[in-house]
Amino acid sequence: MGSVLCDWPSFDPHNFSQLRPTDPSNPSKMAFATYHPPHSRTLPPPDQVITTKAKNILLRKFYERAEEKLRPKRAASENLILEHGCKQPRASTSC
Amino acid sequence: MSVWNYVVTAQKPTNVTHSCVGNFTSPQELNLIIAKCTRIEIHLLTPQGLQPMLDVPIYGRIATLELFRPHGEAQDFLFIATERYKFCVLQWDAEASELITRAMGDVSDRIGRPTDNGQIGIIDPDCRLIGLHLYDGLFKVIPFDNKGQLKEAFNIRLEELQVLDIKFLYGCSKPTIVVLYQDNKDARHVKTYEVALKDKDFVEGPWSQNNLDNGADLLIPVPPPLCGVIIIGEETIVYCSANAFKAIPIRPSITRAYGRVDADGSRYLLGDHAGLLHLLVITHEKEKVTGLKIELLGETSIASTISYLDNAVVYIGSSYGDSQLIKLNLQPDAKGSYVEVLESYVNLGPIVDFCVVDLERQGQGQVVTCSGAYKDGSLRIVRNGIGINEQASVELQGIKGMWSLRSSTDDPFDTFLVVSFISETRILAMNPEDELEETEIEGFCSQVQTLFCHYAVYNQLVQVTSSCVRLVSSTTREFRTEWNAPSGYSINVATANATQVLLATGGGHLVYLEIGDGVLTEVKHAQLEYEISCLDINPIGENPNYSQLAVVGMWTDISVRIFSLPDLNVITKEHLGGEIIPRSVLLCCFEGISYLLCALGDGHLLNFLLNLNTGELTDRKKVSLGTQPITLRTFSSKNTTHVFAASDRPTVIYSSNKKILYSNVNLKEVSHMCPFNSAAFPDSLAIAKEGELTIGTIDDIQKLHIRSIPLGEHARRICHQEQSRTFAICSLKNQSSAEESETHFIRLLDDQSFEFISTYQLDPFEYGCSILSCSFSDDINVYYCVGTAYVLPEENEPTKGRILVFMVEEGKLQLITEKETKGAVYSLNAFNGKLLAAINQKIQLYKWMLRDDGSRELQSECGHHGHILALYVQTRGDFIVVGDLMKSISLLIYKHEEGAIEERARDYNANWMSAVEILDDDIYLGSENNFNLFTVRKNSEGATDEERGRLEVVGEYHLGEFVNRFRHGSLVMRLPDSDVGQIPTVIFGSVNGVIGVIASLPHEQYIFLEKLQSNLRKVIKGVGGLSHEQWRSFNNEKKTVDAKNFLDGDLIESFLDLSRTRMDEISKAMSVSVEELCKRVEELTRLH
Repeated sequence: MGSVLCDWPSFDPHNFSQLRPTDPSNPSKMAFATYHPPHSRTLPPPDQVITTKAKNILLRKFYERAEEKLRPKRAASENLILEHGCKQPRASTSC
Repeated sequence: MSVWNYVVTAQKPTNVTHSCVGNFTSPQELNLIIAKCTRIEIHLLTPQGLQPMLDVPIYGRIATLELFRPHGEAQDFLFIATERYKFCVLQWDAEASELITRAMGDVSDRIGRPTDNGQIGIIDPDCRLIGLHLYDGLFKVIPFDNKGQLKEAFNIRLEELQVLDIKFLYGCSKPTIVVLYQDNKDARHVKTYEVALKDKDFVEGPWSQNNLDNGADLLIPVPPPLCGVIIIGEETIVYCSANAFKAIPIRPSITRAYGRVDADGSRYLLGDHAGLLHLLVITHEKEKVTGLKIELLGETSIASTISYLDNAVVYIGSSYGDSQLIKLNLQPDAKGSYVEVLESYVNLGPIVDFCVVDLERQGQGQVVTCSGAYKDGSLRIVRNGIGINEQASVELQGIKGMWSLRSSTDDPFDTFLVVSFISETRILAMNPEDELEETEIEGFCSQVQTLFCHYAVYNQLVQVTSSCVRLVSSTTREFRTEWNAPSGYSINVATANATQVLLATGGGHLVYLEIGDGVLTEVKHAQLEYEISCLDINPIGENPNYSQLAVVGMWTDISVRIFSLPDLNVITKEHLGGEIIPRSVLLCCFEGISYLLCALGDGHLLNFLLNLNTGELTDRKKVSLGTQPITLRTFSSKNTTHVFAASDRPTVIYSSNKKILYSNVNLKEVSHMCPFNSAAFPDSLAIAKEGELTIGTIDDIQKLHIRSIPLGEHARRICHQEQSRTFAICSLKNQSSAEESETHFIRLLDDQSFEFISTYQLDPFEYGCSILSCSFSDDINVYYCVGTAYVLPEENEPTKGRILVFMVEEGKLQLITEKETKGAVYSLNAFNGKLLAAINQKIQLYKWMLRDDGSRELQSECGHHGHILALYVQTRGDFIVVGDLMKSISLLIYKHEEGAIEERARDYNANWMSAVEILDDDIYLGSENNFNLFTVRKNSEGATDEERGRLEVVGEYHLGEFVNRFRHGSLVMRLPDSDVGQIPTVIFGSVNGVIGVIASLPHEQYIFLEKLQSNLRKVIKGVGGLSHEQWRSFNNEKKTVDAKNFLDGDLIESFLDLSRTRMDEISKAMSVSVEELCKRVEELTRLH
C-alpha cells in the first residue's frame, strides 16, 4: 500500500506546508471579495461572439454533396463543361 | 398588496458542483476554482492553505467548468457553459485584477431535445475544439483556429441517443471522442469517433467496446504516454485503449467523482456514494498498461468533485455535506484511514425543509434546516447577527457609563471596570478567584458620576467628573493631581487617551490637557460659538497614545468639527444637515482606512472617510441603525478593531474587503458597552442593558452564523413545537449492509441541546412525508401529526399511507391515534381546528372526534379531487392554496355550511411546482422545477365566472435555484417602528443551500428600486458578457419572458460595493444623491 501512496506530485513544495488542521466540527466560512465587473472588458472582441451555423445538418449534407458533385466536373476537362454548358452551380449552394 | 417583490440572498449557494485546478491567475500560481452553481470562487494555493481571492457571480447555472491552456499561452483560461446554453471563456488579467472575456456565445439550438443526463462540455487536450453535448443526437463543435480564436460552431449528428458520458482521448492525431452510451436494450457500450473538422462530421474511431458493466457511468481519459480511457462501473473498472483491455472487479459502489493525481495519469482518486475515497492505480511497464489496482484510503464527505491540489492535499467538493480539504497520509491512522481532514467548508445544501423559530425568545427568527443527504445529513441552525455569550451577569440599575482600566500601563489585561451612575461611581475588579467584586480606587471621586475614564502613561488613571479631571496612580490607587473646571462652569462631556484629555464645559468652552508623570497641563483652550455635544480623540495615527486630531460635535448648527492638536485650530467643519444633534463621534481605522463615525440622536449614523493629514472628510454615507441615540465605542476581537454602537438596536460596525458593514447584535437594548479584556474573561465585553450588567464574549464577526448538528442520517421534514420545546423530524437512515435497505424514523429532539430524546420507527417501506405541530378544536393538547406513504417497489404511486398523531409526554413521543389513507400524505395543515391533508390527487379534511371511550380519532369530513398530485398546501382562513405536481397553483375554499371544499380558481399554466406560499389574501407565490418564481393573483372582481376562476399571473422571475420550501418569517429582529419592520418577508431554502428572502415592498419603493436596478445593469456588467436581463427572465420549456414584479436584490445591494465614481454616475442618472441611495440600499440589507 505504501508504494502507491508516496511521490505525491508537487508544484510548489511550500504549498500547504504551514497549514494546520482545524476543528472539523467547526467548518470555516471563507471571506471572499465579491467581484462586480464594472468595466468594458466583460464584452468579448466582436469576432469572438460565437453562434452556431444556422444551416441544419441535413441541408449542409445536401449542399456539400452538390458541391462535391460539381467539383470534379469543373476539374475534369473543359470539353465536359462545354457538353453540359447549361448546368451551372446554384448561387445558394455556397454555404 | 404583495405584488411587488424584492428577492435577495441571505446565504449564498454552498453546494459545490464543479472544481478544477490550474495556473489561472499567474503562470507561477496554482489556483483552485470552485463552482457553486451560480457562483465561482477563485482560490490561491499558499503555504498557509487555500487563500480566497474572489467570489464571482455568474448570470447562469453552471453546467460545465473547465480550465484549458490554448497554444502559446502561459496561463490557463476558464471555460464556463451555463444550463441556459450560454458559454464564455475567461482570462485573468493580473495587472488590473480583472476577469476578461475572451469569447462568449449562445450554443442553443432552436429544435432539439435537451439531454436527460445533464449537459456535457469538454475541451480537446490539444485545444483544437470545444465539444458540447446539449441535445440528444447532437454533438456541437466550437473549433479553435490556429491562433486560439474560436470559430463559428456547428452540429454533428450523434447516433447514440442515451449518452452517459463523453470525453476527448489524449494522444490522437485527429481530435477523438469516446462516447459511453446505453442502447435501447439498456446495455452499455463505448465507441470512439474522430471529429473531422473540415467535413464537419464524425469518422468511425480507432476502437469500441461493447457490453460493459450495467452501471458504467463515468469515463476518465488517460493522458500520454498511456492514453486510452478508464470506464468506471458499479461493479467493475475497465481500462480500454486501441490495444489493451484490463478490468478489475470492485465492491459495489456508485462513483460520483474522480480526480487525477499524476500528470502521467497513473493514479486517480475516486469518491463514491457512501463517501469512501479510493485510489485507482494503473500499473504499467513503460508505456504498456499491465493492470489496475484499487485501494481504499478512507472516508470523506460524499464527493461531487475531487481536485488534487498539491503536496498530497486534496479538495473534496460536496453537494450533500460540508466540502473538505484533506491530506493523504503515508501511514494509516488508528482507524486505518489514510485521509486526514484539514479543513471543512460549510454546505447547507440540499435544504430539503426548514422552519423558522425564535429559540432564544428574543423576537428574532432563526432558521433550522434539514441539510445534506445520506450519511452527511444534518440540522443547521442559521441566525443573523452577532451573539454575545454570557459569562457573568449582575443586576445593576441606572448605569450611565462604563470603562475598563489596567492596573499598569503595560499590563495586557484590564483589571478594573468603572461603572458610573447618576450620583456615584463604583469600581469592580477581578479578585484572585477570578470573580468580579467591588473594590475602590482611593484617588477617584466615587460620590459623583464619572464622565470619562482612561488609563494613562506612567501607570496612571484619569477620571473626569463634572467638576474636575483627576490623575491617580494605577499601582497605589492614590490621588496624584487634578485639574478643576473654572468656577461657575461644569464639565459636560470629556474624552481622553493615554496622554491627552479633551473636555467641554458649558458655554462652548473646549479645553485641552496633556498628561505627564503626576502632572496635568492645560495646553490650550478654545471658545466655540455653540455648546458641544460630543467629542473624541481616539488615536488612529502612528502614535497609539497620542492623537493629532480631535473631533467635536456641536449643538445648534448641527455640525462636526475637526481640530488639530495641540493647538486646537479648526481644520474641517462639516454640517450634518437636519435637526438632530450628533450624540457620539468616533475616530477609527478599519483595514488601514481612517473614518469618522458620527451617531445622531435619532439612531442614524453618518460615516466619512477621513484624511489624517488634512482632516478632510469625504464620501459621506448615512445609515439608520435604530431609533434611539447611539453611543459608539471601539473594541477588539481576534486582533481586529471593530466598533460597537450601543442603542435600542445594538450593532457591530466592522470592515470587510475595505467596505463598512453593519451586523446586528442579538441583544435587545444596550445602553453602554466597554471592552473588558481580563485574564479570566479574555476578549470580553461589558454590556449594560435593561438593569443588568453582563460580561460576555462575542461571536466571530460575520453576518450569518451557522451551527451544525450532524445526524448521520438524512432529515427530510422538520417542525417545532413551542409548548414542548421540541423539534420533530422525519428522517431516514441507510443501512450500511449490502442490501439497499433504509429505515424511516420520526425523531423528537430537544430544542436547546438538539439531542434525540425519543424515536418512533416507521414500518418497512414507510416514508415520513409531512409533519405538523397543531391543536384541534375542543382539545387543549398540542400534537405532532405525521403523514406517511408506503413506497412499494412495484407501485408507480403509493396507494397507502398513514396519518399518525403523537403527543409529547414526559419527553417521549406517544402515539395517540393513527388513520390509514389511500395514498401518500404529502402535506398536512392545521385548518379551522381540524386537520387538512393532501393525499395523492386529493385534499382531505379530517375532524378530531372524541369517541365514547374518551379516546380520539381522525374522522374524514370532506375532500376535493382534481389534482395530479397535490404536493404543497398552504391555508389562510377558509382558503386553501394547492401546489400541484404539474398543474401549477389552484385555490380552493372550504364552505362551512355545506361542509365541502370547492375549487375557486386556478392557474392554467403547466408549472411543475416545488413550493407554494400565501403572501396575502390575494397573492400567492410559487416556485417550479425550472428554477423560476412566480406570483398569481386571485381575481375576486372579475366580471365573469371564467375570469374569477382564473388565477392571474402577476409576477415572474428566474431565481436560478430549486426552492424546496417557503416559510413566513424573518432572519432579523423586526422593530415595529423602523421602515423595514413594516415589510412582510418570506424565507426560502434551496437545493444549493441558498437561504433567501422575498420581501413584499410598497409600490413607491418598488418603482424607485426598479429604476436603480435598470441603472445598475448599465454599470455592473455580467461576468463573461452574460446579460442580467436574460438571466432573470422567466424561462421554461414553453416560454421565456422578461422578469416582472420581482427585483434582484443581490444586484441592487451590490450598489454599496461600487466605487464612488460609479455611485456618482448612478446618482446622476437617478437624480438622487449618493447619500440617499446608500441609505435606502443599506436599509434593504437589513432585511437579511
